[in-house]
Order: sequence, then structure tokens, then C-alpha cells
Amino acid sequence: MVLENQDNRNLWEKIGDYFSANSIWMKWYCTGCGAIELPPTMTSRFDMERLGMGPMATPRQADVMLITGYLSTKTLRRVIYSYEQMQDPKYIVAFGSCTINGGVYYDSYATINQLDKYIPVDLYIAGCMPRPEAVMNAFADLISMIKKGQANGWRHYQENYEWYKKNQLDSLEEVIIHDEFHE
Amino acid sequence: MKEVKLFLGPQHPGMHGNYSVQMYVDGDIVKKARPTPGFLHRGFEKLMERRLWMGNLALIPRICVVEPDINEMVYAQGIEMLAKVEIPEKAHWIRMMILEMARLAIHIMGLGGIGGPTGLYTLTYWAIAQRDLILDLFEEITGARVYHMYIVPGGVRKQLPDGILEKLSELLDELEVKIPEYRELGLKHPIIHKRLKDNIMLPEDVVWEVGITGIGMRSATNKEYDLRKVQPYARYDQVEFDVPVANYSDALTRVNIKYKEIFQSIRILRQVIEKMPKEGEVRTKISTGSALRWKVPAGMVYSAIESSRGEYGYFIVSDGKEMPYRIAVRGASYPQGLLGIEKYLVDCRIDDASLWMDTMGVCSPEIDR
Amino acid sequence: MMNSMNNIMKQVDDVLNVLNKEVISNRQFAIDINKGDVHQALTYLKSIGFTQLSIITCVDLIADNKFQLIYILNNWELGLFVIVRTDIDRDNPSYVTVVNIFPGAKYYEREVHEFFGVTFEGNDSSFKPLLLEIWDDIPPLRKDFDPQVYSDRKFEKRDSDKIYRSKIGGVKL
Repeated sequence: MVLENQDNRNLWEKIGDYFSANSIWMKWYCTGCGAIELPPTMTSRFDMERLGMGPMATPRQADVMLITGYLSTKTLRRVIYSYEQMQDPKYIVAFGSCTINGGVYYDSYATINQLDKYIPVDLYIAGCMPRPEAVMNAFADLISMIKKGQANGWRHYQENYEWYKKNQLDSLEEVIIHDEFHE
Repeated sequence: MKEVKLFLGPQHPGMHGNYSVQMYVDGDIVKKARPTPGFLHRGFEKLMERRLWMGNLALIPRICVVEPDINEMVYAQGIEMLAKVEIPEKAHWIRMMILEMARLAIHIMGLGGIGGPTGLYTLTYWAIAQRDLILDLFEEITGARVYHMYIVPGGVRKQLPDGILEKLSELLDELEVKIPEYRELGLKHPIIHKRLKDNIMLPEDVVWEVGITGIGMRSATNKEYDLRKVQPYARYDQVEFDVPVANYSDALTRVNIKYKEIFQSIRILRQVIEKMPKEGEVRTKISTGSALRWKVPAGMVYSAIESSRGEYGYFIVSDGKEMPYRIAVRGASYPQGLLGIEKYLVDCRIDDASLWMDTMGVCSPEIDR
Repeated sequence: MMNSMNNIMKQVDDVLNVLNKEVISNRQFAIDINKGDVHQALTYLKSIGFTQLSIITCVDLIADNKFQLIYILNNWELGLFVIVRTDIDRDNPSYVTVVNIFPGAKYYEREVHEFFGVTFEGNDSSFKPLLLEIWDDIPPLRKDFDPQVYSDRKFEKRDSDKIYRSKIGGVKL
């Protein structure tokens, strides 16, 4: 499915997008190995805060979720779970080749191959792993996409909820999280 | 008071990577804890059986994200033991240099990581920026910041670039000045001191019961249990260094040992710069035939080295074909990350969970593989 | 070092019923033990200084219809590794736990059960899933399990008009 890029926002949504694009909170969830390049991006050398971005601990107050690399099915359940807890508007940035087509884990029994079948991805960063410069560039792109109204994956997720849910259940069987006490 | 079920992680800023500890708590005290690994499981051991010995080079660094070079070293060392190949002298020294630089990088990050759970973020900011300088050197030597794929079976991939030893020596000078500031800022800070001192104890019998290696083991047993000393690989028998030990293992001791190990790494690196042969080959062939489809003689071997978290090993089985028959990975943090958390996090406070992982050294990708 | 290893090997050979022994390097040797004698062997090795269990793992010898259980012990004083090997039946594989000798074995056995389907009597937690969640196929590290087939069945692939798959000398990877 292709995400359409029509701009049919009303004036208030445009104003809202303009402001929210300049204060993005990033959800603090290291889903994969690309997360090791996030500390340099966040701290003094590359300094994400120049773009008005900062880390946020809870999904309910975060705007952007970073899928930093491969996703095992066990993590994907948590990712979907916490993606659905985020408030609209919400964006997803996917890191690395693993999220595009599986990367080096193309034949693994535990990792998924194509992320955008399960949750809508607004922006991909190529490479394994993306350098902090690439991550910063992606964030700048995301900001301009939000301002132009092109980052509407969350709306797409609402409109095609059944399609996404069916894909999720086909691969995962259930998206419920159990505890590990096995009692 | 009623016990409450609490999930700590995987989506939690205090957690080390994608890992989770699920617990029953009574107030602030943990009554029952269960580690939950597997969020980063990619099935490496299966995938390695399906790739050529050479092709596995792209996979293995990804087993441990924060310290990838140890994987390359155990893999290369294991294959050389099976094939009974002696690698050039210079390659040994370059390997040692790469391994110690990696140890510096992860120890500096670990030292700064203490800032996270204790709330002193300045330390983290300093450490990450300092680590980046080492990554820059790595980039110059190997062409990549994180996954280097530089140590290959038969030596190292290519010669060192010109002038890298001078740059390394300048960096070491800088580190020697900067790292003591961490001590002033962090380890002597009254809040951190109070938080770490006499907290999260590790008695000696627990070390043997659970099988903890690395800093945890050396801080409790007061013995130099370091594979670099006990079973010297590369050229560790030709350099002088001390292994910091202690006989009282609280969180502060373990952090202090980490701090001291940074200086020992610097000491080793200085000797490497001095003693490394100026000329010579850095790579030799493992077997005859096509460059990609080389074969490794049949046999099985356990190849282990000392990582920053303890004994890190691969158990390699070859049946003489182009692909490995079986490779099992012993992640260094397997014992303390699983059984250690289950048994000895009980009666600690909730916020001690992330300090346990920090000071004991738990790296989730190598547990999950 | 070779000397102390020879001593240890001789000592082990005298006391235990060793089927076969193999020197792997000058700091490492392997012994094959009967299925029934492993506990005795591990207890003895622990008493002579092999105090740390490094890993328990398993090798699927599908050609012989056997699983080989591997116990690797580490002697920190002498710097020696010993690899203890024993064969068990591949059909309906089961073995007895070593948790009472090495408590650290608990999670290794759980992992072997998950990846190979070997059950360990006496270790109740070994029947629980560890790394995988909702697994619906044969244990994944057995040789007759093909991850490519599983992945094709479960996870959708990206459509592409060009598929780059390497082929080196006729071996399809």
C-alpha cells in the first residue's frame, strides 16, 4: 500500500502541525541495534536538541517512534502495543535495511521482513547501521514532512485498521502481552 | 501490603537496551523477579549454519552491539585453532590494539552509563562524547563506526593507515587527563556515592553458584581471574598490565574497578604502539582454493576471550565443509543477566534493577542472539 | 601449561570411565562420556578445580540420529577448558538435569530445550519458553528445520522485480 500525500488539512491543523513539528518528543525505546547510534545523536556531538527534539519516557507523550533495526516477533508485539498507546499525531521512523526487506536476517525464523505491512512507516533511513548524520538528516526531513502535511501514516493506520490488523495477526497470531512468570 | 506486579521494560528509559525484568513488588522492594530475554532474538546460531565461513563475518559483529570486535576475535581465533594456522606477528598486535580500543570505548560508555540510573546526566554526556573520539579512530582504521568486520580469520583485513599510531597516542594523552575528571564528577559525588556504596552486593559464593565472570567475579573473589592473564591470547603475554581486583563487591567497587581497567587498557595500548612491528604482512590464508569458499578442517573447539563483561566464547563445530556445522555463543552476560537477576535481585529496590545491569555488565543482544 | 593439562587428563582418565579423549589445543581437551556417567564426571571435574560452567549446548548429529550434549567447564586456576560430550537419542530426547551440581545450568538447559526439544528431568523451569514466544513449529535449531521456509510462510516479503541472491560456485545460499 502506498501512503497518499494529499494535503487536505484545514487551517487549524496546518497551524497545529507547524508548531508540533518544532517540538518533537522521541519515544525512548531501543528496539534494535541502531539504538547504539542514538546516544551520540542525542548528546553534545550531534545534538538532536538543535531540531527541537528530545527523548520522552512514556508512549503517551511521545510523538515519534524510532524502529531502530530488525524486529523480532516478540518485540513487534510490544511495538504495536505501545504504538497504539501513543496519541495522534504520531510518526514512525524506521532505521536500516532490516526494516525495509529483512537485511542480513532475510531468512531468520524470528525476525519480520517488511515493517510497513504491520505499522505505517513515515520515513526510512537506509544503511546498516545509519550514521548519526543520517539520523539527523532524517529528523530534519521528518520535520519538513510534518510541516507539509505529508507524514500522515497515523491517519492511514486508522483508515486501514483492518488491513494492518490482519497482517499483524497472520504473522504474530496474537498481539496480547503475557507476563513471564508462566503461572 | 499487597504485592503488585510490575513490568520494568522493555520500553523504559532505565533499561539497558531491549530487555525486560518482570517483578512482584511490595512497596519499593522486589519480592520476585524474572528476567525476560528474547526481544532481540534473531536466530544467529541457525543463520550461521546457513552461510559460508566468510559470509558469517557480516553476521557475527551484530551479536553484541556495544562491543562487536570481541565476536570477530573469538570467531577468527576459533577457526585458526581448527585450521592450525599461525597468523603473522603484526596481525596479533593490531588485533590487540583493536580489542583494547573497543574495551576503552565500552568502559567509558559504561562509566558514563552510571549517570543514567543515578540521575547525573552530565556524566553520560561527557562519556558519549569521549567515546565518539575512539569511534572516529575506528572509522579511520576500519571504515565503519560501529560494526568493523576488521578482525578476520587469518589476521586482520588490511594494513593500518599511516599515522594512526600517532593519533591514537594523542587520544590516549587526552583520555588520561579527562578520565580522572569523571571520578571527580561522578564517583566522588555524594549522591552517587550514597546510592552505590554497600548496595547491590555480590557475595563470593554467588559468583560460583551463578557462574558470573568478568568484573563481577574479580570484584568478589580478589583473584586475577581474567582470561587475558589466565589463558593469554594474541600477545597479551608480552605486555605488562594489572588486573584490578577487590574482595568486597558492592556497586561502587565494581564501578571503581571499571574505572581502573580504563587505565590498564591505556597502558596496554601504549605498549602496543611501542612494540608493534613496523613491517610485515597482516593476513594469511586459512585454506587453499577460492577466496570465498574456503573450508575449515573438521573438528570442534571452544574459543573464548575476555570481553568487558567476562568470558565470551564460541563453541564451533566444523564438518569440513564450506559452512559451519554448529556455532553456539556463550554471551558473557548470560549468567548475571538471567539467573543472577532471578535469584539476587530479590530484596533490592526497584531502581536497583538498572544499576545491577549497569555495574554487572548485562548486554541484552548477546543474551538473546 | 601442556604439562598440567597432561596431568589432569591422566587423572581424569584414571578415575572416570572415559570413552574417548581428544586434545584440542594446549589449553583445552574434550572427553566423551557414557550417558549414565555424566553427573559423576561433572562432580569429579568440579572437585578438581573446574568450578565454572561456561556453557551447556547441544549439537544435532542428524546423520547418526543423535543429539550430542556439550558441557564446557572452565578451570580458572590452571586456565584450562574441558569439553564433556555425551550422546543421547534423537527420537524423544530426554536427559537428567545437572542443576544440583551447577546451579547456573538452569537457563542453559531451558535454552537447549527450546532450541532442540531435549527435556531435562528435574528442571521444571526448562519446559517454559525463554527466547521465543508462541512458537508453532519443530524446535528451530534442529537440522531438519528450514528457517527460509518458515520465514516465507510467516512473514511477508517485499515485492521486487529484481531479487539479488548470491550464487557462489553452484551453492545457493
